[in-house]
Amino acid sequence: MADETFLTDDFLRQLINVGEVDILVGLPTHNNARTIGATVQAIQSGILRWFPRDRAVIINADGGSRDGTPELVTGASIDDLRRATNLPALRTLHSVSTRYGNSPADAAALHTILAATELLQAKACVVVSAESSTIQSDWLSKLLQPVRTDSFELVTPVYRRHKFEGLLINNLLYPMTRALYGFNLREPYTRDFAMSGQFATDFLSRNGWDHANGGGIELRLTLSALRERRRICQAFLGDREHIEHRGADLVPALRHTVGTLFSAMEDDFALWSTVSGSHQVTTRGPDHEVLMEPLRVNRKRLREMFSTGVAELADVFQQILSSATIAELQRISSLSETEFHYPAELWVRTVYEFAASYHKSVINRDHVIQAMAPLFRGRALSFLIENRNSSSEEIEKNIEAVCIQFEQQKPFLVEIWKQ
Amino acid sequence: MPLNQDALWYKDAIIYQVHVRTFNDSNGDGIGDFPGLEQKLGYLQELGINTIWLMPFFPSPLRDDGYDISDHCSVHSSYGTLDDFRKLLNSAHERGIRVIIEMVLNHSSDQHPWFKESRSSRDNPKRDWYVWSDTDNRYKGARIIFVDTEKSNWAWDPVSQAYYWHRFFSHQPDLNYDNPAVREQMWQVMRFWLEMGVDAFRLDAVPYLFEREGSNCENLPETHVVIKDLRRRIDEEFPGRMLLAEANQWPADLRPYFGDGDEFHMAFHFPLMPRMFMGVKLEDRKPIIEILQQTPEIPPTCQWSLFLRNHDELTLEMVTDMERDYMYDSYAGDKTMRLNLGIRRRLAPLLENDRRRIELMNGMLMSFPGTPIVYYGDEIGMGDNIHLGDRNGVRTPMQWSGGWNGGFSTAEPDQLYAPLIQNPVYGYPAVNVVAQLGSEHSLLHWMRRIISVRKSTAVFGRGSIEFLHPANHRILAYVRRLGNEIVLVVNNLSGAAQAVELDLRRYKGHIPIEMSGKNIFPRVGDLPYLLTLGPYQFFWFRLRRI
Amino acid sequence: MNELIIGELSQALHDLQLAFAHYLPRLIVMLILVFVGWAIAYAVKVILRSILRLVHFDRLSENTGTAQLLTKAALPTASEVVCRFVFWIVFLGFVLLGVNVLGILGLQEQVGKFFFFLPRLFVALFILFVGLLAATFFARAALLAAVNANVPSPKLLSLAVRSIIIVFVLSISFEELGIAAQTMLVAFGIAFGALMLGLAIAFGIGGRDMAQRFLERRFVRAKREENEDELSPL
Repeated sequence: MADETFLTDDFLRQLINVGEVDILVGLPTHNNARTIGATVQAIQSGILRWFPRDRAVIINADGGSRDGTPELVTGASIDDLRRATNLPALRTLHSVSTRYGNSPADAAALHTILAATELLQAKACVVVSAESSTIQSDWLSKLLQPVRTDSFELVTPVYRRHKFEGLLINNLLYPMTRALYGFNLREPYTRDFAMSGQFATDFLSRNGWDHANGGGIELRLTLSALRERRRICQAFLGDREHIEHRGADLVPALRHTVGTLFSAMEDDFALWSTVSGSHQVTTRGPDHEVLMEPLRVNRKRLREMFSTGVAELADVFQQILSSATIAELQRISSLSETEFHYPAELWVRTVYEFAASYHKSVINRDHVIQAMAPLFRGRALSFLIENRNSSSEEIEKNIEAVCIQFEQQKPFLVEIWKQ
Repeated sequence: MPLNQDALWYKDAIIYQVHVRTFNDSNGDGIGDFPGLEQKLGYLQELGINTIWLMPFFPSPLRDDGYDISDHCSVHSSYGTLDDFRKLLNSAHERGIRVIIEMVLNHSSDQHPWFKESRSSRDNPKRDWYVWSDTDNRYKGARIIFVDTEKSNWAWDPVSQAYYWHRFFSHQPDLNYDNPAVREQMWQVMRFWLEMGVDAFRLDAVPYLFEREGSNCENLPETHVVIKDLRRRIDEEFPGRMLLAEANQWPADLRPYFGDGDEFHMAFHFPLMPRMFMGVKLEDRKPIIEILQQTPEIPPTCQWSLFLRNHDELTLEMVTDMERDYMYDSYAGDKTMRLNLGIRRRLAPLLENDRRRIELMNGMLMSFPGTPIVYYGDEIGMGDNIHLGDRNGVRTPMQWSGGWNGGFSTAEPDQLYAPLIQNPVYGYPAVNVVAQLGSEHSLLHWMRRIISVRKSTAVFGRGSIEFLHPANHRILAYVRRLGNEIVLVVNNLSGAAQAVELDLRRYKGHIPIEMSGKNIFPRVGDLPYLLTLGPYQFFWFRLRRI
Repeated sequence: MNELIIGELSQALHDLQLAFAHYLPRLIVMLILVFVGWAIAYAVKVILRSILRLVHFDRLSENTGTAQLLTKAALPTASEVVCRFVFWIVFLGFVLLGVNVLGILGLQEQVGKFFFFLPRLFVALFILFVGLLAATFFARAALLAAVNANVPSPKLLSLAVRSIIIVFVLSISFEELGIAAQTMLVAFGIAFGALMLGLAIAFGIGGRDMAQRFLERRFVRAKREENEDELSPL
């Protein structure tokens, strides 16, 4: 699929008309008619307000929407915006829409956007998610400015999140990428980011674009930047409301994130096995901020799914985990709900043993990832209980403690990895 | 060559704007004069222009380049005599060239006998020929135009111990048009020149004739009454003469000055010009199309007058703040190039002496709906001298040759009214008429050709315009049409080669004939018409159905 | 009489001598064949062992679950079993070849049958091996899916999947071997039918709750979300 012909002739013709640009805004969509209007307006006003003199284009890569999303993108006239916001426009702002397939595929969407970035010689490319309805026009400036004026090559966001949102990121992705690659990147897996044209071109040619199994492509992009020691910057964007379409199910989420991370570890062993400690990444604005609203979570269900998993998957775990870890897990699963505690130390050991087993392919790799789901639920539950009444500082401290655990136990990972 | 007797002659005109002082000095006093200009009419005829617009040549203390007139019915002694002017006028007419002169209605010089009388005492009969006040608090709604030099629109007169009103410099008191005697007197002035044979007036600073409390003192309804009256008198006594309005306003605000075809014949289209420069800089047709689409319909006998550069600064009053900032940064990085709300530079330096861009800009000028004006010297790509104060940097002597004083004058160089351009790029040894006449590739020859192509059809001056909207925004394409005559214009605003697909289905079956080379292009069919254009290239195609 | 007896005896002795002289070379050839067969079989075993070690055969067999089966049966590792099996097959082949050389009637026919049967045995074993591999894979996939979807009794489901596949694979293997093909077909039919019936009954009795929950999830979802916030992992 990922051959030279994946860009349609019609799309190419539209790109010819757009010509060279300074800024390319990528907008992957799939049935986003509800939020796309606000998103496009935020993008357009962001361009007009912050980059009025730059040549810009909006590239919409659509995964077969049936609700008219692409038409809404191309139909959003800049003149309507002028009436609404009184922002004058110096230039023509093109909105180009192309359909890469009939079902959403993150890799195909990003592939399309990066191909356009290279073809249009864009100096910077920013991708924003059409699913978020909280996008502000200054997101564009916050993401792009570091690329345009300070020659950063990748800008990832920091959001103000609910304290129990993004548990997988806080308990695994962030601390583990930090321990592996040595940089404190809060959102390694993100749908809103900006990158330099050069990085886009390089990633376009280096990545092995498999459209069918391209989940987690954004994480692969971040890891690629980390691996190549590109200049990375984080930008605080503020609130993010995510209307979950695909990420809601834990197993696909694990596949896209943990699966991608584990497979990247294969290639990067020489790099990460020598990294110790971690460095701060340049951050514009606060590097974390949490909302403290109460959240009703079905803890009983989490607890139940954890215990069921530990009991039912005993045979599977025997192939993945060490017997000491299994014994500990079994002990935890027998604890009552009030005493329930899945300590960070054990969690990190669990994750590392999973990583090593994934590397050795002790069983089918996808099964390794799937087997993690109940354990993650247990860890999530433990995190919820620990931080039920914590202030934002305490939560931050706890997350930091997880990070430290990941960093401290790294020699153990290297050891079992080589066995 | 007799004069074209068509009453709508101004629609087919190509106007050459020149100041007598700057063009050619016949008597060696360092200042251009009427006989000098007369000697050069042949040059102008060969250039292809058919109208000259002379800037003020009246007696004047010359504190505002002659717009401060001290006698309306005479000529400044430096330029010759009234007889010299009459001779010039007749020679021009013999060569088929019409003459437009200035008519400064709004104000006079403070050295004008009228003002001297008016200020002499509060009960002088000419006291209310000007606008007097005991306080400087009246008409607060009026903006100050020369923001760089004037603090107020009122100036204190120590002689009669009162304030007088001036919209421009304080040495240019505004005449009081509420006074019928003033209106009658100004008509007598116009009659004087019309009887002599002048073909048209450029009426200066028209919007400011009246003052009314609570308004911005611009475009007041009373103004239109005065204009209508003047127009009626001209049509009765001197049919075929023309009035051209100078009013730096948005097109929609300008529209009333055309009335129902009973006020001005022509008016300058001020907002278009900065947007042409902007469009080329941005490589985007958006600003140009926007302003032309905002331009209202005008009565069939009326016409816009278009220009790239003139004797004033490239005015940025009719643009948004953002556009002005962009224009300043793009075209006047050096702050000394800026004046008031504009850029005091000539065409060639503005376009970095890029021949292709100069051609493109002229090509657009000649193909947009309206009558083009060429500012003297721009046909050879003259430069400017930003170190001369005010707008004098774009009013340096015409460069005729590489010889003594650039062939402008036999006087001592120190004696010239202004120094010639000396720098290696634009100096008279490098840029001059003689050198360009000798080079087939010169800008002067190119200008002659484009003017002759423009004059080969009336469609440019009189036809309708319809924009095409190819997806490539660097291409500005439009169809000019007059009866069966159809001309397709395609401009590449970009410095890179471009491909463009034009939707010409309406003209299916027509054969495009490129107008400068007379070559035919493939016939228009059902498919989008594909053209490729080099950097800043433009094409004019006559679409013929054969 | 004596003459006759002696004559017969000497004749018998002579015949024996003759028979012995007739059989002795064959016996020697047979013994040589057996010895060479043993040597070749041993060499094959050694080579096979190193090949299996090279392709991580043990890990593969662990995946299929055969390893556990073997451990339970107090047998050595899978590769060792395979090696020994191949050794004996090769060795036995040579022994039978040797026996054939003896020219004993009837035995020759049996030996021929053995060699005719050998390739089918290998194919059947191969099918069985791959089948077991698949059974384990799908059983585990079902188990994980069931656990993560919070479906009750994931192990039962997994076992069912495994059983179906194993029964199916066994029937194909036996068919390949040609052993009681009809019987196996009927047996498979009965086993499969029983399993389905069992499942149907299990669903009928135990599935009421599940069906109810399924319907709830489907149609009363909005209400549930009001009461509980979903945790977003990302």
